[in-house]
Amino acid sequence: MNKKTETKKVVPQDIINKAFAKAIADGDIVNFRFLFLPYSPLREDSTEDIYSIKYSYLLPSEEEEETPRFKSALALVSREDIKEHIQKQLHKKGPPQLPAEPLLMLADNAVKQGKYTSASQAYELLRIRIKIQDLFFQQGEEELAKGNISNAVTAYRIASELEYDYGAFPEPLPAVPKYQEQALILHGEYREKWEECIGYLPIQAFLTEAFNYLFLSPEHASRILTKPVDVQIEFLVKLIQNLDPKWDKFVENVNKTIPLLQELYQDIKSRIERVAQGSLWEDEWDEGLDIEKYLAIPQILLGRKITPDEWWAYLKEIAYLHPASALFVARQLIGKEKEIILPRYDPNNPVAIKLSLPPLPTLYPEPHIN
Amino acid sequence: MSEELYINYFAILGLNEDSKAGDIRKNYKKMMKDLLLEIHNLSSLTPAQLDEYLLKMAMLNAGYYILRDDERRNNYLMHRKKVIELEKKWCEVAEKDPDSQEADRLRREYDRALQDFLTKYMEELVLEAGRDRECVETSNWDPFHERHASRVLRHYRQKLYSQIHERLPYYDVTKPQIDWDERKKIVASIVRKELSEDE
Repeated sequence: MNKKTETKKVVPQDIINKAFAKAIADGDIVNFRFLFLPYSPLREDSTEDIYSIKYSYLLPSEEEEETPRFKSALALVSREDIKEHIQKQLHKKGPPQLPAEPLLMLADNAVKQGKYTSASQAYELLRIRIKIQDLFFQQGEEELAKGNISNAVTAYRIASELEYDYGAFPEPLPAVPKYQEQALILHGEYREKWEECIGYLPIQAFLTEAFNYLFLSPEHASRILTKPVDVQIEFLVKLIQNLDPKWDKFVENVNKTIPLLQELYQDIKSRIERVAQGSLWEDEWDEGLDIEKYLAIPQILLGRKITPDEWWAYLKEIAYLHPASALFVARQLIGKEKEIILPRYDPNNPVAIKLSLPPLPTLYPEPHIN
Repeated sequence: MSEELYINYFAILGLNEDSKAGDIRKNYKKMMKDLLLEIHNLSSLTPAQLDEYLLKMAMLNAGYYILRDDERRNNYLMHRKKVIELEKKWCEVAEKDPDSQEADRLRREYDRALQDFLTKYMEELVLEAGRDRECVETSNWDPFHERHASRVLRHYRQKLYSQIHERLPYYDVTKPQIDWDERKKIVASIVRKELSEDE
């Protein structure tokens, strides 16, 4: 009887080094962990082939190989002790033990490239995530003390985005911004008075709402809320600009809605006057307003029409594109059962002014109905 | 080794392990009354404060619910002692030979016991306490509290698990050697954007 000889594939050491170096340079925790898995193409006993086109993403391009980041990562994984450890794990039967030093370099690279979920996972594995967060918060405090608001915002933002959601089910995961969901919660209740709308709140209340909405944890917001109001205002403006480099587009869209807002409020004012003179509310309000015309307001604000044509759908989309926009809009009934989202904020709101938001038409000082 | 991360309901209620039933009830009622008064005196609650107070209320209720009953109290003490001893045993073996099969076996046993302990005494019995008539009457605990407390408790439990692991032997990752002064400099350079794009 012929005996079947098993030949294990041999993966050259330089390929192993390059694959790990790329994951580390990219700050990619998913690929880094994948390379250790039982079906990793780097394992000799795996049937997966590292040279297959489907794994080309694991290896660096020629340009990538020339970057300082990649070279540093390659030098690290080529070091004897690290190389030996990696080889041991690739031959091990059972869960691998990840090497700390490459993991730390990966985490740092992830932070530098804005890959905060990857960074937080890596720091969490190293059990230093909370301390690293604290370091960023401390750096933020130092920058604030020196008056470097932009740097402070960067530090606070990084610290906040390294947060973990320990309440996630079935296991803890990095916390991620979910502005499209948070915006719906923020506007969950219809605000019946102008003064209750977020953009019309007294400045400290506005700042509190804003920071609790924009930071990933109320605990992070509470750190900045202890600062003087003028510092909070500057910080919020810079934070909004940091989170949304395309904020100017939203401002442009707000400007475009102004003519329609003027028409809408004029229309509402006339109808209120007619009701005061004896007309039926049902005739003036329920049946009266040109709903199709005013549905254009959220469309202009977003920059396109979407389906469903509902206020909450527009709010989700706008909040996803421009997170802070949720602080400067409000729900508005435009008929018996139809609502839209429109811009609404106090023209004297210092944050709105600094963010170049234009003054808007209002119904004040005339009596108004929301 | 710090035992305080293994939730200590005696400490939460300001008691010793040999405290009598009367002291348990007295401390619970007084602490709950003070807490409710503190909440009542606030004009509004921030989301962070809401979570904090919910947790405090839930812990006081759970402490009273567990400690006032002999069987629950004895089980709690037995489980807590078991987890602490398992941690100690594992750490001793891991210090001598971290890669041994015995270290791995003890780690798995400890992890299971820890997860069971935290799930039972940080979540299950806490929520059960929220349905106990006496706790409900004293704390005004209601379905709103329970709905929000589930999330808060899960968060707190997992955070506790993570904090406990910070001091335990490394197994899933090799032990990192961190120079915290160097770390501070790296953080500063990232924040000040002192590095080129490729660094």
